[in-house]
Amino acid sequence: MARYGMALNYKNCINCRACESACKEENGVLLLPDHYRIWVGVKEAEGQFPNISIASQTYHPSQCQHCDNAPCQQVCPTNATYYGEGGMVMVDPTKCILCTYCINACPYDARYVDNRTNTVDKCTFCSDTRLANGETTTACQATCPTKVRVFGDLDDPNSEISLLLANKEYRQVKEHLGTKPKLFYIL
Amino acid sequence: MKVEISRRRFLQGSVAMSIAGGVSMSSSSMMASAATPAKKVGNEDKKIATLCEMCVNKCAAIAHVRNGVVEKLDPNPLFPKSRNMLCARGNSGIQALYDPDRLKYPLIRDGEKGSGKFKRVSWDEAYAYINEKLTKILDEEKDNRSTVAFCAGEGMAEHTFKSFFTMFGSSHFLNHASLCLATTVSGYSLTIGGYGIADLDNAKYVIMAGANRAEAIVTPDTMDMFKRTNGRGAKLITVDPRFTNTAAKSDKWLAINVGTDLAFVLALTYVVIKEERYNKAFVENYFNGFEEYKNHILNNNYTPEWAEKITGIKAKDIYEVARDFMAHAPQAIYYQGRRTTWSKNDFQLRRAQAIFSALGGGIDVKGGICFGKSLPLVEHDAVAPMYAQAKPRIEKDEAAVVGGSGSWVAFRNMVLENRSPYPIRALFNYKHNPMQNMPNNAKTAEFLKKLDLVVTIDTMPSDTVMLSDVILPECTYLERTDPVVSYGGIEPSIAQRNKAIDPMFESKPVMEIMRGLSAKLTKPLFEITKKYDEDVQSAIEDDDEETVYAEFDLTKPFAHDQAELNVNAVAKYEGAADILKEKGVFYPNMNEYFKKVGVNDYEYYPEHKRAYSVRNMKFNTPSGKIECSVPALAKKGIDAMPVWRSEYEMAIPAGKFRFITGRHAQFTQSGTSNNRLLLNLVPQNYAWINKRVAEKLGITFGDKLEVSSKIGKTTIKAYPTEKIGPDTLFFVHGFGVYSKALSLGYNNGGNDAAIIEDGIEPMHGSSCLHDTIVEIRKV
Repeated sequence: MARYGMALNYKNCINCRACESACKEENGVLLLPDHYRIWVGVKEAEGQFPNISIASQTYHPSQCQHCDNAPCQQVCPTNATYYGEGGMVMVDPTKCILCTYCINACPYDARYVDNRTNTVDKCTFCSDTRLANGETTTACQATCPTKVRVFGDLDDPNSEISLLLANKEYRQVKEHLGTKPKLFYIL
Repeated sequence: MKVEISRRRFLQGSVAMSIAGGVSMSSSSMMASAATPAKKVGNEDKKIATLCEMCVNKCAAIAHVRNGVVEKLDPNPLFPKSRNMLCARGNSGIQALYDPDRLKYPLIRDGEKGSGKFKRVSWDEAYAYINEKLTKILDEEKDNRSTVAFCAGEGMAEHTFKSFFTMFGSSHFLNHASLCLATTVSGYSLTIGGYGIADLDNAKYVIMAGANRAEAIVTPDTMDMFKRTNGRGAKLITVDPRFTNTAAKSDKWLAINVGTDLAFVLALTYVVIKEERYNKAFVENYFNGFEEYKNHILNNNYTPEWAEKITGIKAKDIYEVARDFMAHAPQAIYYQGRRTTWSKNDFQLRRAQAIFSALGGGIDVKGGICFGKSLPLVEHDAVAPMYAQAKPRIEKDEAAVVGGSGSWVAFRNMVLENRSPYPIRALFNYKHNPMQNMPNNAKTAEFLKKLDLVVTIDTMPSDTVMLSDVILPECTYLERTDPVVSYGGIEPSIAQRNKAIDPMFESKPVMEIMRGLSAKLTKPLFEITKKYDEDVQSAIEDDDEETVYAEFDLTKPFAHDQAELNVNAVAKYEGAADILKEKGVFYPNMNEYFKKVGVNDYEYYPEHKRAYSVRNMKFNTPSGKIECSVPALAKKGIDAMPVWRSEYEMAIPAGKFRFITGRHAQFTQSGTSNNRLLLNLVPQNYAWINKRVAEKLGITFGDKLEVSSKIGKTTIKAYPTEKIGPDTLFFVHGFGVYSKALSLGYNNGGNDAAIIEDGIEPMHGSSCLHDTIVEIRKV
């Protein structure tokens, strides 16, 4: 069985936010403040003009980590949050009661309340909008000008993501919390 | 009499124009109500290959159309130039299509100019109104066609509009060139024989000065560059008064004083000449006038120590960059830049950059500045009429070389200041927004009000639209098939925009608008020519009226359907027409060459088929070599070699700032000011002010500032940051719209056209957008 994850060549990121716009158009995310499934975390430059530390300004594209051990799933009182196909963390809108425990539990701040569906929504790796239609990429990956993202099956040793992780150094975010995240940042 | 007629016929031969479906474009010349957004039609589900028009790049896209609604735009991987991507603006094309504020019907002004009052009319009423006004004007001006000016924004259908201009016979065509890239295109062309294509896929050392490819996206440059920075093959040196997103991806950022780049380049040149680090074989064989240039640089003592005082960049950094550049040459590029309307010395700056790049030998070579190949289209020429009464361009002597796209600022100011030798009375405008894109919008407003007739074709009610007399609604790019375009380059291809859905409301593609308008105007305008043009009168006596009229028939370029013209334009490539319709992109051997090489990556041409070197070491310059000196310019008062002049240094009075403008990756000039998706990403623009200066003034993030210059003021929120120097102020262009008909863009953020002074540089009369001193006041 597949186990989906995403590697990010985050050094390629120029903070153009094509990924955010493609995600919104693909998944019908409302164009309201604080409505987003993915984002680019910006760490502002340090130093004083003209002595700015170039390395201090970073762009960190991010989204739901689809943890193997997801805190949001553990706290959900109605089992609205569940592990779907390929180990993706999914939300069943018919069960969600908007208690927002998951928002508090998620260490990655990956969830938000969608005013359209009255669900605590999050990234689904475009499983309903793209993967279900036979696409093999997510909207954010496909649209990216500098090709930051590589989505794929971590259990397939020949997938591009597996080969990338086998050959490159990478880091994960807040791994020490035991969440077993499936986003990998290529160094 | 006979002689005069043959003079006419002789002249006709020289103004042949293309009315073909296609436009050849080398990458260097690039130069309803809200409640009922869309009609649902049937149960179709189709994918249409289109080309984006949210900016100049024209990325290939696939429009997913379900039940008559464009639901999603995806990148089309087939196009070498756009490398399988759509940026934020590309994704927001759907919001442009379904923007409830779109222009939906033809409108005629129904109140004072600028009152914003218009009445809805039929297309025929609009054409009839234009006809009535225009015949009166041309009769009063005795058929001087140049009394009517034409201007156009950049776009694939600009060519169609330009055909109308050519047939009409005016001397005045104006576009973005003098507000954008005229100086860099000519600077590189006169020096190395073309603007060229920076091969950022293979360069090992790149100096980007003032160019901001992480935010002002250019394809394929942006995508090629940032996959290879940060120790992954290409060293990037960014020279900019601001710490931009590009600077954040660089190996080195050099903060430079605004407007002093020429001194920086001259000092780089000094180092490589003095230390003899240039490519000697290349210079020996392919430079014209090197000794003269060498002496000029050395004798003027353009040392890094000299440049440090002017530029604010440390001499040791200049030495290091000069040496490093040559160590990586010829895979080293001083990047040309695009929107280069900065200061009075722009043209000389671009010449100096081109010569410096060439000193490393990185011209027409892989990893350097390449010229690429083109795939020619079939063009059908038609003869444009000559009008004996049409007078020459009014601003032709306002700069050394005023080309076919004019000097917008000089033109406007001559009209306003009554310096025009004859009256300018009307303007036809295709999707251009001089109210926002030209400095000093108070003058632009006055200029538009002064004209007797302003006809604007556009999709959105921009500030310029609101000052027009007649508004003709064009459909958006997703609702039309445009002229097929050939994109020259290292990996050349042909691309076509196919209509995704039918035009909404009463909007039409410009081709149909031109067809309708020209049909209305052609006979009445010919009557005026007949009245005032003796050549025409005698020609009618000799031949017959019908024969003579045929020459002047305005409808000629618009007789055919665009899709049909496109088929003819690519007739020499077997199967191309069908492939372009289905896939949007074609190039010879595409089936064989195009390969998927990874989940994100494609190969377009095999390495040995890419056009890195095409000139065989003969450059398109008068001597066939790299031109160090252009003596012909000296006769026009332009330095034959780049010289630093003391007047280029601009004092900034204490407490004031030098203003600079620019772009970010979520907006395209003023064209996206009302786009819901993009405003969701970036709700407004902010004025960058140095953090320590702001602290002294008691300014914190989000405080409202009034920014004022000699010519006007605007209001904007503050963004204190260390990413800008203490004497510089910056904000992004394209916000602060005046048009109340743009409900999201209206009064949102600061408007740079209100404060930038309208000085021009001496070469092409291009704007100096960075020569304004401003002051700020907390409000």
